[in-house]
Amino acid sequence: MGHLTNDEFFTKLADVFNTRKAKAHGAIYLTQKRLSYNTNQTPPSPENEEQDALADLHPSQPLPLLVRATNGKGKEHRAAKVKLSTVVQPDDLAGFYARYAEVCKAGMAALKPRDRTKRKAKAKKRKGGGGGVAPAS
Amino acid sequence: MPYYAKSEDWLHQSALLLQARPSTTRITTRYHLKPARRVPKPKKSDPSQPTTTTQSTQPQQPSEGKGQEEGKPPRGRLILKTFDPCSGATLKYKTSKAAEVTRLIQMLGTLGRRMAGVNVADEAEDEVMADVSTPVVEGEGGVGVGSGVQTPTLGQTAGGGGGAAVGGKEQAQQQGGGGGKGKKKKGKR
Repeated sequence: MGHLTNDEFFTKLADVFNTRKAKAHGAIYLTQKRLSYNTNQTPPSPENEEQDALADLHPSQPLPLLVRATNGKGKEHRAAKVKLSTVVQPDDLAGFYARYAEVCKAGMAALKPRDRTKRKAKAKKRKGGGGGVAPAS
Repeated sequence: MPYYAKSEDWLHQSALLLQARPSTTRITTRYHLKPARRVPKPKKSDPSQPTTTTQSTQPQQPSEGKGQEEGKPPRGRLILKTFDPCSGATLKYKTSKAAEVTRLIQMLGTLGRRMAGVNVADEAEDEVMADVSTPVVEGEGGVGVGSGVQTPTLGQTAGGGGGAAVGGKEQAQQQGGGGGKGKKKKGKR
């Protein structure tokens, strides 16, 4: 399966999140790693492997990232499996992650929203406690 | 396979792992939903209801239904995992707070930059510039402590934008910027 463009990736990822929301159970996996496949045309010879291992740490050029998304369907539900993948060029990283954050935040609606009730309760307690203490003393 | 209590710790360790093995390390984000399996507790209304007639069972059923509906909205979990198949090192962080999502994705972004081999320093410089510019605006208001208070609120309103959300390193840089600002102030006075 070929890689999608970033735009396609985001629209399809949003779809995946939406179906997940509708079903109310299941998982979504998002993975990112350096795209190391097919980047250097010449396969490293065993003699150079030591050098390559070190060259890995300081690549002369920024390398693209591979971002994948699946809905975690295994063998039994192979037909329902969704696999998305896209390649992010190093120049696009900032823009990609900005949109990524948007999509994820919109999609992960089942997480706990920020709980303000506790804070309010505490504030009330403080107020109430202060009021209670003052007449007693 | 440690879980870290703080996302900053996870970010730091992941950055170190990425530094060591940038080409094999991968970061997986798992978001999963679980139907809430909270057993609806028999409410206090039960003892009161035997006093009434059998008609009370009809109102009771909707109340139970309500309880199930309240328990129903599934809870999501978010698990970040940095894994290096070469050494088998696994670093994890899990959360269930929606407020953290944006910050965590930004962390993924910073780690992604490391993964790609982009010079992180270039980006960091830009952010330092942004950080310096904000306290200058607030400089008239008063002391550096005030600006320190205001930056987190900025981060909250902007959905975790800005330097405060990205991680410990940039927080350190913020402090550095604040210090520089203080010196400037002294010079002016």
